[in-house]
Amino acid sequence: MDIAALEQLGFEIALGTYLISSILFILYFSTKKRRLAEMGFTLVAFGFAFQTLALATRWFYAGHPPWVNTYEVMSFFAWTIVGAYLILNVRSDYRSVGTLVAPLAFATLGFASLQPTNPTPLIPALQSVWLLIHVPIVILSYCAFFIAFVASVLYLFKDKQLSEGRLMEGPHQPRDSSANATRAVSHEPIGVLGKFSLDQLDDLAYKSVAVGFPLLTIGIITGAIWAEAAWGSYWSWDPKETWSLITWLVFLIYLHARTQNWSSSLAAYIASFGFLSVICTFLGVGYVLPFLETYFSVSTGLHGYVGGGVVAGTVFFCGILGFVLLLLFATRKKPPSATEAPPAEESTEAAPAH
Amino acid sequence: MNFAIKLLTSTKFAVATIAVIILLSAVGTFYPGGDVVFGSWPFLVFIGLLALSTALCSLTRVVPLWRGVMHPPIEVSDQFLQKLPYHANISGVTASQFKAHWKGYKWHEASSSGTTFLFAQKGRIGRFGPHIAHFGALILLLGVAVGAAYGYANPYSNKIAVIPEGSSLQVDGFTLQLNGFNVSYYDNGAVRDYRATVTLIDGNQVQTRDITVNGPITYRGLTFYLYGYDSNGVIESGKASWVAFQIKSDAGVPLVWLGAVVTLAGIMVSLYVSHKRIWMKGSNESILLGAISNKSSARFFRDIDIVRTELKDRAQERDVAGSKEI
Repeated sequence: MDIAALEQLGFEIALGTYLISSILFILYFSTKKRRLAEMGFTLVAFGFAFQTLALATRWFYAGHPPWVNTYEVMSFFAWTIVGAYLILNVRSDYRSVGTLVAPLAFATLGFASLQPTNPTPLIPALQSVWLLIHVPIVILSYCAFFIAFVASVLYLFKDKQLSEGRLMEGPHQPRDSSANATRAVSHEPIGVLGKFSLDQLDDLAYKSVAVGFPLLTIGIITGAIWAEAAWGSYWSWDPKETWSLITWLVFLIYLHARTQNWSSSLAAYIASFGFLSVICTFLGVGYVLPFLETYFSVSTGLHGYVGGGVVAGTVFFCGILGFVLLLLFATRKKPPSATEAPPAEESTEAAPAH
Repeated sequence: MNFAIKLLTSTKFAVATIAVIILLSAVGTFYPGGDVVFGSWPFLVFIGLLALSTALCSLTRVVPLWRGVMHPPIEVSDQFLQKLPYHANISGVTASQFKAHWKGYKWHEASSSGTTFLFAQKGRIGRFGPHIAHFGALILLLGVAVGAAYGYANPYSNKIAVIPEGSSLQVDGFTLQLNGFNVSYYDNGAVRDYRATVTLIDGNQVQTRDITVNGPITYRGLTFYLYGYDSNGVIESGKASWVAFQIKSDAGVPLVWLGAVVTLAGIMVSLYVSHKRIWMKGSNESILLGAISNKSSARFFRDIDIVRTELKDRAQERDVAGSKEI
């Protein structure tokens, strides 16, 4: 069997399994049937194995790491987020987070499949040891910020539901009344929201940023070292550089917010904005600025992987950006009348009395 | 003056300044070349404010922090211990038994009027992480400033030199001669490599070197980058009749790299090293224990719980053994 065909087969199986598991997770989201999430999780793991095979064979036959052109970078990014999701599930049960991860992995891989798949030989500027270091470090930092975003959005949803009295605080506060026990059972399939406390979600977000922030710092420094060698300047306010600095600064605010007694929901919003900035850095710079080029004569920068299929790229960028904004909009708490309702603790205690 | 320092050292002020820099930078990406925003005075003023705020923050905090961390109180009151996030009254265990089980810490001891005071800590550097990062960022900015100032001062820096093949360029006491330029291709016709071969002649010293896209050369403080070539000539005859080099001399670059590395180290230290402190105050029968950690407290407190359980089990074993004797 031709090795390129093997890579393609692995890629297509991964794409297919991510699609099927996305459907399973969406069904899980609407029916709350636990088994659907379990099946989705197993399929995602299956797809991940095939994608690993595809990336490894590609590295082997392309002769350079599989993160040079758009097809490769997107595929690699999807691989990292699925990998992070699997790692997250080793010690804790974050199966239902697949509702966010699987569709994003499918969309990213689907977008990759629309790109030219032939391996591109390395242009002179990319022939550097930094290709091996800079790119995966930056992609891994994006992946960590994605996890921070997921944890933050879950935090905000849980916070909203608690304040509206629709969900009890996690299982860590033992409840003895039988009325509450039945309530707990009826809420059980809610998945991550029911399973993890606000503190745990907050902690996951912080830990992800604690991984992502140093990675992004290293990514920016190695990028600057590379730029110094290739273009004669460690910093030239190229849009990619500028947006990566913006992302870095947003998470710098996040870390400073954590040293103060500011609310955790504020931190969750800052982390979410940080992920919006990641999307702008990763995709926006390559897929939106070219459109503005005619009006503003914008420089699109020197990051070659954002090339080809600008329209598809813009749709992909806007889709993800829109989805993230929609999620954040949905975490908004209801106007005062609802928030004035007694806190969750009291309302659940009061329920049996009526 | 006091008010100004209070404002400048506050985290809220720093965050607001960063937010303004974020907004200006985002606007800046819509302008080519970058200088419209990034060279403008409002941008530089906010960078300056952030630098000032960073410096003042660390200057005003680092000395009290040093004092607190290096000379912690050892003879503490019960109220002090009871206010700590972890505190417990443990009976049937002596302070020295706990000390023996708590590995890897250096204990400081004091005693007054029959009460023993014990204190141990680990990861002190974790508390200084943010200040190390602040210091690094300031070195980096200094490097940028030095580069900008020196860039104007050096007559050769930031110049593009176009050298016809076979000719040479006279710079700063030495000569750079262009021997040849070569373009190599992949099988599919894409460019694999641009390579200019030059000879550096400096008095009696003569050396021949290659300059490639990712491989500039530095000689006597001047760095030569491959900048352009006669592409028409290459297309028509396979030979470039001229090659352009960008000449740079940036004395700030070492400072920039040093600052970047120090910043990174400071970030890692502040994120990953937790400062753990543990106090004990006890007589023979019981100890009052208090502990605090600036991060990953859960694991730290769990470790204390584990030692407590071990000690309790041993105490019970002893009791059992004792009862047998009777």
